[in-house]
Amino acid sequence: MIAMNTPAPSHSSPLIRACQVVKVYPAGGRPVQALKGVSLDVYPGEFVAIQGRSGAGKTTLVNLLTGVDHLTEGEIWVDGAALHRFNENQLAFWRGRNVGVIFQSFYLMPTLSILDNVVLPIDLCGDYHPRRSRERALELLRQVGLEEHAHKLPSQISGGQQQRVAIARALANDPPLIIADEPTGRLDSVNAENIFQIFQSLVEGGKTVLMVTHDEGLASRASRRLILSDGEIIADDAAHRLKSEAAGKTEG
Amino acid sequence: MMRPRVRKILADLWGNRLRSLLVIASITVGLFAIGVIATLHQVMTEDLRLGYAAANPPNIRIVAAPFDQGMVDHLRKVEGVRQAEGLRGFDARLESEPGEWIGIEFKAVPQDEVRQIAQVRLVKGKWPPGDREVVIEQYKFADIHAQLGEWITIELPSGERRPLKVVGVVSDQTVGAFASGPGFFLAPVQGYINQETVEWLQQDLPYTYNMLYLTVDGDANNEEHLWEVANRVRDELERAGGAVINIAVRGSYDHPNRRYLEALAIVLVLLGFLIVFLSGFLITNTMQAIIQQQMQQIGILKTLGSRRYQIILLYMGLILIFGAVAALAAAPLAYQVAFQRVVPLAQTINMAYRGPRFLPGVILLQVGMGLLAPQLAALAPILQGSRISVREALSGIRESQQARRSWFDRMILRLRGFSRPTLISIRNTFRRKGRLILTLVTLSLGGAIFIATFNVQVSMDRYVDMVSRYFLADVNLTLTRPERTLEIIQMLSDLPGVAYIEAWGTARSEMILPDGSTGENVQLLAPPANSRLVDPVLIEGRWVKPGDQNAIVLNERFMSDFPYLRVGDTLRLRLNGKETDWVIVGYFQLAGRSSGLLAYTSRESLLRVLNQPDKAMTYRIVAEGEDLSKEEQEALGRAIEARMAARGIRVLDVTTGSYLSNSAAQGFAALTGFLLFLASLTALVGSIGLTGAMSLNVMERTREIGVLRAIGATNRILMRLVLTEGMLIGFLSWIIATLAAIPISKLLSDSISLALFGNPSTLAYTPTGFLLWLGAVLILSALASILPARNATRLTIREVLAYE
Amino acid sequence: MSNSFTPQNAPLNGPSEKTSLRQPLVEMRQIYKTFKSAAGEFIALRNINACFYRGEFVSVVGKSGSGKSTLVNMITGIDRPTSGSVYVDGVCIQELGESAMSAWRGRNLGIVFQFYQLLPMLSLIENVMLPMDLCERFPPAEREARARALLRLVGLEDYADQLPAEVSGGQQQSAAIARALANDPPILIADEPTGNLDSRTAEAVFNIFLGLREQGKTIIMVTHDRSLAQRAGRMLEIADGVLISDSLNGEAPHPSSREAGAV
Repeated sequence: MIAMNTPAPSHSSPLIRACQVVKVYPAGGRPVQALKGVSLDVYPGEFVAIQGRSGAGKTTLVNLLTGVDHLTEGEIWVDGAALHRFNENQLAFWRGRNVGVIFQSFYLMPTLSILDNVVLPIDLCGDYHPRRSRERALELLRQVGLEEHAHKLPSQISGGQQQRVAIARALANDPPLIIADEPTGRLDSVNAENIFQIFQSLVEGGKTVLMVTHDEGLASRASRRLILSDGEIIADDAAHRLKSEAAGKTEG
Repeated sequence: MMRPRVRKILADLWGNRLRSLLVIASITVGLFAIGVIATLHQVMTEDLRLGYAAANPPNIRIVAAPFDQGMVDHLRKVEGVRQAEGLRGFDARLESEPGEWIGIEFKAVPQDEVRQIAQVRLVKGKWPPGDREVVIEQYKFADIHAQLGEWITIELPSGERRPLKVVGVVSDQTVGAFASGPGFFLAPVQGYINQETVEWLQQDLPYTYNMLYLTVDGDANNEEHLWEVANRVRDELERAGGAVINIAVRGSYDHPNRRYLEALAIVLVLLGFLIVFLSGFLITNTMQAIIQQQMQQIGILKTLGSRRYQIILLYMGLILIFGAVAALAAAPLAYQVAFQRVVPLAQTINMAYRGPRFLPGVILLQVGMGLLAPQLAALAPILQGSRISVREALSGIRESQQARRSWFDRMILRLRGFSRPTLISIRNTFRRKGRLILTLVTLSLGGAIFIATFNVQVSMDRYVDMVSRYFLADVNLTLTRPERTLEIIQMLSDLPGVAYIEAWGTARSEMILPDGSTGENVQLLAPPANSRLVDPVLIEGRWVKPGDQNAIVLNERFMSDFPYLRVGDTLRLRLNGKETDWVIVGYFQLAGRSSGLLAYTSRESLLRVLNQPDKAMTYRIVAEGEDLSKEEQEALGRAIEARMAARGIRVLDVTTGSYLSNSAAQGFAALTGFLLFLASLTALVGSIGLTGAMSLNVMERTREIGVLRAIGATNRILMRLVLTEGMLIGFLSWIIATLAAIPISKLLSDSISLALFGNPSTLAYTPTGFLLWLGAVLILSALASILPARNATRLTIREVLAYE
Repeated sequence: MSNSFTPQNAPLNGPSEKTSLRQPLVEMRQIYKTFKSAAGEFIALRNINACFYRGEFVSVVGKSGSGKSTLVNMITGIDRPTSGSVYVDGVCIQELGESAMSAWRGRNLGIVFQFYQLLPMLSLIENVMLPMDLCERFPPAEREARARALLRLVGLEDYADQLPAEVSGGQQQSAAIARALANDPPILIADEPTGNLDSRTAEAVFNIFLGLREQGKTIIMVTHDRSLAQRAGRMLEIADGVLISDSLNGEAPHPSSREAGAV
C-alpha cells in the first residue's frame, strides 16, 4: 500500500547489530541492571515484535536502538553507524534522518497542526523545501487516510488517528527503520488492527520495523518475535530470518 | 508556508496565553520602569539646563549704591560685557491674610520695560506689569492668598501701606540664583513691578537702580572668566563714582536647583540599575519554569532529530517575541507616566518644562534592553533545558535530581512536630532549590528596594526635623533699623505668652579670596554665643562657644565650593567695607548645597568686629509652652507686632519658626514624594514577579494535587497546602528583604545626601516600609497561589494522573 | 433486594452475582462512559453491571485500551460515569462533590497506582501517615506506630525514613500499598500495580495482596498480566468497553464464592 523508495532487504549485512548491550540505571543506592548483555541482529525488511512483561527491558532496548538513551556497555551499530560513539547531538541528527520513532502516547506537538507535525522532522533535519515538504507531508497523510484532517490540531482527532499521524511523521524523512514502542497500547482493538496493518504494508514496502507490544495476537503476526525477560532475550523466534538467510545463501 | 518550528513558537505563544502574558508582563514592567526613569532623567537634565539658559540668566550680579541708566550704558562698554541691565530690588511685606504679613522681594523691571536678561515666562495674566500692578512668581504664588485681579496690601520698611493689583503669574528661572540669597526654597515671594510703581512705593531717588545684571561674551560657564569681567566692571563702576556692595557670578546653565536634580538623577540611575537586575532575575525565573513545562516537547523535538542549537534558537526566538511585545507595550506606557510625573516635579524645582516629546534615545534603550536583556537572563535556563537527554525529557525524571541529600535536605527531613500536609508545604518550598533561590532573590530585591525607599524617606523627614532646629524660636522679629537690645527685650518680656528672647545679629559680607580678590557673598548669622535657639547639625568641628574670638562655623556649601578650607583655617571677610579674619571652627549642614553661603558666629564677635553698640535688628522669641502650632505662633507674632507698633518701633518682618523650617524643607518634600513613586514602581515589578513565580510553582504541583485528592485530601486541605507554601516563600523573602534593605537604604540615602549636602547621611529606619512589604508580600503570595490552586482543584484526578 | 441489581445479560455476569442475598460491597449498575473530544465520542464502557462482595480478590483484565482502568476509576470516583450508578457500601458515590468524594475516598478506599505516586518530598513513613492526617483517622499519637506497623507488613520497616527516590520501584510500590492501607479501608483498588515492576518484584507485591485478602480486605486489581490475574479469586475480563467474562478461579476460593457454589 505504501510504496517507499527504500532498497530491497539486503540478505548479507544486518541493519541493526547490538553486541553485549548492558544498561544500568542508578536507582537510589542500588543500581538496576535493565539490560544484562543483550546481543541482537536485525536484517533489512524484518518485522520484529518485541515482547516481555513490564519491567523486562523492552523500552530500554528500543531507547538504545533509537539513540534516545546511552548504553552502559557494549556496542550498537545501525546501518553502519556506531551509535555507542555518538554524542547527544550526533544521535539527534542521525535519528532524525534514519529512524522513525513511534510512541505509545503519540507525542504529537500539541500546538502544531497535523500537517505541521508531519513537516516538522523535515524542517529539523531533512532537505527542507517549503512546497516540496508540504506536498510530501500531505502525501503521507493521504497514505494513512488523514488528508482531510491536515489542518486540525492533534487534540481534535481520536487517539487512533493521532497514532496514524505519528506514523506519517515517522516516515517524513523516509528512514529505512521504524521503531515503535507499544504503538497500539492506548488504542482499542479496531484502531490497533488498523495501525498494525499500516506497519505490515510498510514492511512490504521495504522498511524494517521493530515494534514493542503486549498484544500476543499482533506479535504472532510479525515476521520475528523477541521475548525479553528481566533484561535478557529469552526467546528469539527467527523463523523468517532463517528462511531468508537460507534464501540468501542459495542465491550467493 | 511558515516553517513548522517557527509556527510552533507562535503557537506556543498563543496556546498558553496566560503564561505568555506573565512573561511579557514581567519584561514589560522592567522596561516600563527603565523607560520612566530614563525619560525623567533625560527630560529633567535637559530642561533644567536649557530652560535656565533660555531665560538668558545674568552671569554677574552687582549690588551697588544707587546708580542711573547712564551708568548702565557706560558699563555695557566694558570689555567682556555683552548685555547690562539695571534693576531695583527691595524687600517689603505683604498681607496674606488679615493681620498676617509675609515677606516679598520686589524687582523692578528696567525703564524701557524690555528685559533681555533673566527673562520670565508668563504663566497666566499679563506681563509686564503696569503702574501699581504686580506680577508674582509662580512657585510661592499660593502663599499670597490672592487671585489674579485682586489687590494685595504691601507694607514698606517705612511702615507705610500701599495696595497693588495682582495682574500676572510668571515663572522666573533665576529665583535663588545668587549665593548671597538664601537659595530657591528659602526665597520669599517674588514680585515684579515697573519703575513707576517703584517710585510710587518708595518715593525716593526716582529712576535709579541698586542692582546690575550682566551677561558676558566668551565662556559664560567659566567662573574665572566671569570674575575677571566682574572685577573690570567693579573697577569701572567705582572709578565712575559708584559704590559696589557685592558681586556674585553664575554660569549660564547653572540652574539654582541643579544640585537637587543631581540628587534625583543619582537616585533614578541607582534604582534603574536595581530594577534591571530585578527584571533579569524575574525573567530567568519565569523562563526556567517554562523550559521545565516544555521538557517533554524538547524531548519529542530531539527524538525527531532536532539538535541542541535548533532548540536553543527556537526558545531564543520565543523570547525575542516576548521581548519585542514587551518593548512595544512598555514604551508608550513609560512615555505616558513619565511625562505625567514630570509636571508636578517641574513646578517644585522651578524647571522650565518644555513639554512631552519623543525621545529616540529612550525608545532605543527600551527596545535594545527588551530584545537583549531577556536573552541574557534566559540563557542559563535555555542552555540547561536543551542539554537534557531525550529519555529524561520524555519521562520527566531528571536523574541528577535523584537521591542526593545535602545537609540542608537532611535538616528539612528532620523537621518534626508538623502535620504531614504542612511538611509537604515546607519541603516543597525547598525542593527546587535553584528555583527557590531565584524567586527569593527577585522578591527580596524588590522588597528591599521598597523598604529602603521608606527608610530614605523617613531619613529625609528626620532631616527636615533637624532643619527646624535652626529655627527653634516661635517668632522671628526683624526691625527696620537696629534698636537697643535691652530696650526691645524689656518691651517684649512682659508680653503674655513670651518666655524667652534672644537678639541676633545679621550681616552681609563678602569673601576675600586667597589672591586678595573679592569673592561671593556670605550671609552671617550671629546668635548669642550661649544661644538656646539653634541646635545645629554638625558635619565637622564644633559650634561657636562663649569666649571664642572671631570663631565662625560654615555651611555645607563652603565644603563643596571651597574644598581647600579646613577647620582651623582662617577666612577673610569684608564687613562694612572692613576686612577681618575669622577662624573656622566647624561645618554645619542646613538646606543643602544649593543654598547660599551661610555662616554662624557669635553676636559678641560680630559686635566687636563692627565696633557697634549693643543694638540689634533681629530678635528671636520663644513662647511659653512647647510645640506651638502654626496658628499659635502666628497669634504670638501678631501680639508682638501690636506691642512694637504701640511703642513706635517699626517692624520689617515677623515670621513664624514653622514657616521658615517648612520653606527650608520644601526641596526635600519633592525628593521624598518622588522616592515614594519609585518605591511603588519597584513594588510593582516585585509583585508581578511574585505572582508569576507562585503561579508557575503551583502549576507544577498539579500531579501531586491529584495524588493527594486520590488519598483523601479535601479542597480545604489542598488550599491550605498551597497557601502555606506560597506564604512561606513570601515570608522568607521578606526576611531576606529586611536584611537587604539595610545596605540598600544606606546606599540610596548616602547618594542623595552626597548630592544634596556633600556628605553621607544619617540614616533612620521606619517600620512602615517593613510592615507594608510584609503585608503586600503575604497578600500577594496568597493571591498568586490561590488562583492556580483553584484551577488545580477543579481538575478531576483522571486528568491530573493521566500519565502523559 | 439483590435481584434488583441483577444485570440483564445474565451469562456475562459472574457467579458472585447470584451468590447470596448479602449486600454487595460495590455495585455497578448499567454504567456507560463516553469520552467526548473534538474528534468525536468514544465509548469507553458499555452497560457494565457488576457486584463485588466483601472479602473478594477480583482481578480485572483486558488489553490496553479495553476500558479496564476506566472501570476501576468509576469505583474510586476518580472518574464519573456518563450514565448508570455506582454504590460503594451503600453510598452512591457519583452524588458526592469532588471535595466530599476525596474525603470519602480517603476513609473507604485504598488506591495503588501503576506509577506508585508517592509524594517525593515525604519519607516513606510520612507518606504512609499522610492519609491519616488528611482524614483525621486514628489519634495523632498512634499514627506513627501504625505507619511503622504497616511498613513492617510490606517489609519496609528498615526504609521508613528514606525518600521514595532512594528506594527501588518495587519498594516504592510496597510503600504505596502501605499508604493505601493507612486508614484501614475495607476496599483496596490497584491499577496495574505490577505494571512497572520486574517479575520477581511483581510477585512480591502480588503476595502482599494475597496476604491482605487473608485478612479480609476486598481487593480489586487491574492488570494485563494474565498469569497473575488467574491467581486472584475471581477474574473479570473486559474488551472494548464490554464485560466479556466473569469467572471464579479455582485457586483460593473465598467465602461468597463457596456460597455461590452451594446454591
